[in-house]
Amino acid sequence: MILEKLLSHGKKERDVTEDIKRHIGLLCTACDTFKTAVERDDPDLMENVIQLEREGDSVRREVISHIYEGAFLPYLRPDLCKFVEIVDEVFDLLKDTAFYHLSTRLPERIKDDCIRVALLNFRMCEMLLITYEAMLKGEDLREKTLAIRIYEKKVDDLKYDLFEEAKKVEIDTFWEGRMLADLISGLTTISDIIEDASDHLQIIYVSMR
Amino acid sequence: MWKVLSGVFLGWSLGANDSANVFGTGVTTGTVKYRTAILLTAFFVLLGALLEGPKCMRTVGDLSRLMPPEAFWCALAAAMIMTALTYLAIPASTSQAIVGAVIGAGIISNSADFSMLYKIVSCWVFTPVCGMIVAYCLHRIFGYFLDRTRMSLARRNLLYSAGILVAGCYGAYSLGSNNVANVTGVYVGSGNLSPGTASLIGGLSIASGVLTYSRKVMMTVGKGIVPLDPFSALVVVLAGAITLHVFTQIGVPVSSSQAVVGAVLGVGVVGGVKTVSFKMLGKISLGWILTPIAAGLLVYLFITFGGI
Repeated sequence: MILEKLLSHGKKERDVTEDIKRHIGLLCTACDTFKTAVERDDPDLMENVIQLEREGDSVRREVISHIYEGAFLPYLRPDLCKFVEIVDEVFDLLKDTAFYHLSTRLPERIKDDCIRVALLNFRMCEMLLITYEAMLKGEDLREKTLAIRIYEKKVDDLKYDLFEEAKKVEIDTFWEGRMLADLISGLTTISDIIEDASDHLQIIYVSMR
Repeated sequence: MWKVLSGVFLGWSLGANDSANVFGTGVTTGTVKYRTAILLTAFFVLLGALLEGPKCMRTVGDLSRLMPPEAFWCALAAAMIMTALTYLAIPASTSQAIVGAVIGAGIISNSADFSMLYKIVSCWVFTPVCGMIVAYCLHRIFGYFLDRTRMSLARRNLLYSAGILVAGCYGAYSLGSNNVANVTGVYVGSGNLSPGTASLIGGLSIASGVLTYSRKVMMTVGKGIVPLDPFSALVVVLAGAITLHVFTQIGVPVSSSQAVVGAVLGVGVVGGVKTVSFKMLGKISLGWILTPIAAGLLVYLFITFGGI
């Protein structure tokens, strides 16, 4: 086992780290696609977000099975799996939000704020990828996680304005209102989960020092 | 030659019990397969016994001038006490059992050398202390360099995996070099065996215990150490091995379990964690007192009723 590891220069570990990178990369693409779909009000692009979530799901399964096939010390495995699960939670929420967007019409008075939140979510995903790559190289993560926290604070500030504006929107049916509320809630919660993922990267980094 | 059988039995039980201190971490963390671990342990135990085993042989032999049958009873009493105390879950040491038995036999024949006993008992007390100090220093020194080295996650993982393997092999070597005297040292003192033959027989008997009956203890002890992070686990195994090797150079056989317990405490102290459990210290002290006294009493019974 160990000889195999030494001779392959940790091939299993490299496979896992590359797959996780691909997983976060897919999340960045999904967030970017979501933002563009909201901007253009394009249902086809929104369908693509749902497709990307499915692809992300299969990458997550690959990562977890590779980890339990013997990549990394067992001490580190639960933390790595947990990180992948958190990223997958972001995918799930993004997919639900895309579904709400497809099921309802986004009122003009909140559209700009929604696009701003979607853009911040995308930036946070990019920063999560940068943080992950820095962790792999053994670099310090403090500045990167701080940047993610600042983005999250910006989304939080927008969240309350968004709900205030949403209150002024005329609603015809219960389900129309419910869908709109869920869309705003989903869109503004994504940043919280990305922040959790970056915190978890910090935990992995510290535990292997 | 049959008189050596009790020593072989003692070596077998030592191998089955103490190999866990060496590769328990490696096996339970999945770094090394159980089969590879026992083969490596058996090989390095034998190597350690052959190359450095004779260094501690004289200490056990010089404790008392034993006759060949007395040597047989001493090893048998030590083996039986070890089995009983292990069954009662009291952390016992083979070194303490055999020394107690040899002193017991020496008292009966009026040949016990108590000046040597003083040296040995001091070393027993210093074993966990030394393990603690070595672990503390290693953690500080390696930690200092690792904190200042930028290393990828995969490389760090590989470093710890390889480190656990190397430390395990070194631990097995130290175990063989230090503890072989517990197994066959009495036969050197009684003139049954030469130091070289005693090392070979002792090393082979410890290796047989490792190969045939070590899985259960290895899993139990390993899981107890695994909650430590990989770096600390590596330091614990390495500190235990260094401690045993230091005492081999002094020429006194000591307990590998107590060296590891001390090392775990040392790692805890670095993190500022209150790891010193007075219950555990009490158990170790109970073992220090109970083991030699019980072995001494048993050998007295054997010699009195079994005859020489």
